Amino acid sequence: MSTPLSLADLDLPRRNGELAFDAPWQSTVFALAAAVVEHAFAGDREPFRQQLIAAVTAEPGRPYWESWTAALEALAQTLPE
Amino acid sequence: MSDKGHHLAPVSPVEQRVAALEALLTERGLVPEGFIEDVTRRYESEIGPMNGAKVVARAWVDPGYKERLLADGTAAIAEFGFGGPEGDHMVVVENTAAVHNVIVCTLCSCYPWPVLGLPPAWYKDPPYRARMVREPRVLLAEMGCPLPDEIEIRVWDSSAEVRYLVLPQRPPGSAGMTEAELAGLVTRDSMIGVARL
Repeated sequence: MSTPLSLADLDLPRRNGELAFDAPWQSTVFALAAAVVEHAFAGDREPFRQQLIAAVTAEPGRPYWESWTAALEALAQTLPE
Repeated sequence: MSDKGHHLAPVSPVEQRVAALEALLTERGLVPEGFIEDVTRRYESEIGPMNGAKVVARAWVDPGYKERLLADGTAAIAEFGFGGPEGDHMVVVENTAAVHNVIVCTLCSCYPWPVLGLPPAWYKDPPYRARMVREPRVLLAEMGCPLPDEIEIRVWDSSAEVRYLVLPQRPPGSAGMTEAELAGLVTRDSMIGVARL
């Protein structure tokens, strides 16, 4: 199991002084969702978006990328074996 | 999970979950080699607030473009080649001397990624999402954007159907600047509406 540790070593661009991601796992889970949208749903974001809405609604105070992770876990369960 | 080297903190539960997801999805053949790195780089460099800044600068120098932008944001932004699933149905709202616009997504942090890149951390936080609707003037002041009472604040709640982009006012003292120089003045925060230029 490898994580994109190389990301942590990059000189990440800052926008208005703020990093886009606070930790490598956040950019990883972001990209994993992009991979599923692209390769399992032919670019259709809607199934993931619905899971994200459900995840955010379920725990409104949960940090955003954790809700994103929960949404992707739920979506992964719906994929054919 | 890979060894974190000098990091002493144990791997957090959410990191373990993301690693499990990565393993599962890779096994299913959904994550090509290098995909994660490619996506991250693309969002951090190519797709970012500079796309939105180019749109804003063009609107400042070209009245015809500005008219098209305010009439049909999606089509005018597509003239630059910017678009995609998260940039559908873009509506551009113009700041004036009398009106200040700000965008929020109370539902799920919808955000016009193709023009603004990845959303900032605070945009996704529950306090921003709740307070920008309830007390925008107070929150804007706290965020370093105090507005006089005579300026009307309009809060636009993004949704799956519509994504908003704020067209900031062209700053004073920028009369002689080129379009490219003007684009350099436009910040992400000004296009969300939590800053003025």
